[in-house]
Amino acid sequence: MIKKHWASSFCAVLTLSVSMASLADVKVGALYPFSGALALLGDESFRGLEIAVAERNAAGGLKGEKIELLKADAVDAGQAVGAARKLTSVQNVTAVFGSYSSALSFAATQVTEMAGVPFFELGAVSDEITERDLKFVMRSNPTAKNFAEGTITAITKIVAPSLKLDPKQLKVAIIHEDALYGTTIAGFQKKLAQEQGLNVVEVLPYSAKAVDLSSLILRLKGAQADVVLQTSYQNDTTLFFRQIREAGFKPKALIGAGGGYSMQDTLKVVGAQNMEGVLDVDFPQFQTNEAGAPGISDFAKAYKQRYGTEPRSGHSLINYVGAKIFLDAMDNASSLEADALREAVARVDIPSGQTAAGIGAKFAANGQNERAHTSVMQWQNGVLKTIYPESAAVTQARFTDHP
Amino acid sequence: MEIFIQLVLNGLLLGGTLAIISIGLTLIFGIVRVVNFAHGEFLMIGLYAVYLMNSTFGIHPYIAIIPATLLLFAAGAVMQRFIIQPLLSAEGHIQIFATVGVSIALMNGALLLFGADVKTVQGITLGTSSVALGPFRASSGQLITFAVSLLMVAGLHWFLQSTFLGRAVRATAQHRNAAQLMGVDVKKIYIFAFGLGCACLGVASGLIAPQYPVFPTVGTFFVLTAFVIVVLGGLGSLSGALLGSMVIGIVDSLAGYYIAPDLKEVVYFVIFLAILVFRPTGLFGAGRGSE
Repeated sequence: MIKKHWASSFCAVLTLSVSMASLADVKVGALYPFSGALALLGDESFRGLEIAVAERNAAGGLKGEKIELLKADAVDAGQAVGAARKLTSVQNVTAVFGSYSSALSFAATQVTEMAGVPFFELGAVSDEITERDLKFVMRSNPTAKNFAEGTITAITKIVAPSLKLDPKQLKVAIIHEDALYGTTIAGFQKKLAQEQGLNVVEVLPYSAKAVDLSSLILRLKGAQADVVLQTSYQNDTTLFFRQIREAGFKPKALIGAGGGYSMQDTLKVVGAQNMEGVLDVDFPQFQTNEAGAPGISDFAKAYKQRYGTEPRSGHSLINYVGAKIFLDAMDNASSLEADALREAVARVDIPSGQTAAGIGAKFAANGQNERAHTSVMQWQNGVLKTIYPESAAVTQARFTDHP
Repeated sequence: MEIFIQLVLNGLLLGGTLAIISIGLTLIFGIVRVVNFAHGEFLMIGLYAVYLMNSTFGIHPYIAIIPATLLLFAAGAVMQRFIIQPLLSAEGHIQIFATVGVSIALMNGALLLFGADVKTVQGITLGTSSVALGPFRASSGQLITFAVSLLMVAGLHWFLQSTFLGRAVRATAQHRNAAQLMGVDVKKIYIFAFGLGCACLGVASGLIAPQYPVFPTVGTFFVLTAFVIVVLGGLGSLSGALLGSMVIGIVDSLAGYYIAPDLKEVVYFVIFLAILVFRPTGLFGAGRGSE
């Protein structure tokens, strides 16, 4: 009996020491909104990171050590601070990846910067995040300004030529949800439209929690807008599409800046026939030409194998590509100290069109990836297809009578 | 002028949607005297029930109203019996916190169960089609919701005024202890009233499902406005809730057009504050000292 007892405690010690050994892995934090209102895209973003880490682990990990991914749930800015504190001071992570939402990123990066832990932003788009002179904040994804550029490019290079019109003849209306996301992108849209001499007839912000947009639609109708640029989440997108149908408002083109426009679920709710021909500017999505995005189909395959569904949006892709860029840089760094990591990231030099998302990677002194860009896509027969840039395009823009 | 009339029409129809959600809230407040912060989440439960019945059995949301109403009656009764009743003699703020807790639990429960994806009823035309009324346009779903909200207020009014159970409910609302002395089983009445208030949301979920998709936080989109309406109309007043909904609907519509879409909330919250300052009992409130 005693012997048996001894044996079992030996086993316990053994398992303990095994788990101690696994504690020596390289720990990195994954700070995303896993619950609350942002959970859907937060989780979708995280999946990209998870696949990148799994691939790196399968290929031998970071400098021979396995990577352990510690999830930290951040529903709002307050929780993001708490989560970042826990990651940096209790769990002592080497780096934090995140975060999908700019509000969360602003809050979390303040904490990681103070702790001297690198924060690799893979998905938040507010330009400000990398314009605060923070030493250890680096971002791989395109910013709000890139989104706005994409929507204006869509007008000048796609919509106007397809309609055989001078872009300046088109009446452009900008509508956007009135929080940080919409306001930032719409601000850049206004500025860029002015620079290009476009005719902006209305700029209308609204609350993303609105349950009625009929008066906004009447204003658009009154202004006879030809092109509507919308920056929106999912509910306001579906509401807008339902109500323009009810009001009988048919602009020549609708251009979304990511968010609700990119989601398969939006299409399900709105109906494929009602979204036919709608343009969308976003992170590169899955219907992209492999020639301009090598590795994209392998990623889609890995995703399906792991989660059993098709990717729900391109967020997983851009997070995957960003995570890969940073993990490769970490592996090439002289050590896993923050300064060495920063230096390794600064050395990264990937030409455009060489990653699975079609973006390149070259980081400016402020930590922003200068070779990140957005794609212009169009909903055709229920599928979001890339139409610009040309190297990544799978089809050409088609305009029929819509929506 | 045409635009103005269309705006008022839009506002009234939005008011119908808001009314159908606010009726239950004002009932529960007026009778049980509990501010139910989980009201929006009960709506969410109803919407999911309607969605599931539609996606599994292909039932039209308008038919799904019947089971959804029964389900929500039961959910409300359970909430009253097991969460509010033990706190009945506690201070008001404790009951409020309990309902807030239920709200958060339900929201996250739905997130766990259904994920954050938006879902919607499929394959229906009645309720989603658009109707032309001369030069004006409206959605058939909103017209029906509007009509039902009027009928519901009339029906509930008749029930409370003219039936024995309705009288017992009103007696309980007026003075709990006096009603008890008259032989009214107050606890049962409370359970019934809470269930009734939630059952109204069952009707609401069937009616608004063709127009609004369902997701775990859908309740928060409506509930704040519902609170404004209930305070505006007078807590506990059915006709107040109806009138308040129409006022808020029209303000929402007109302010969204003539001022700015992002400032419409500002306009009706200013009205809300003005009501609180100048007529704290609301348009049809019972006045001070009504327990």
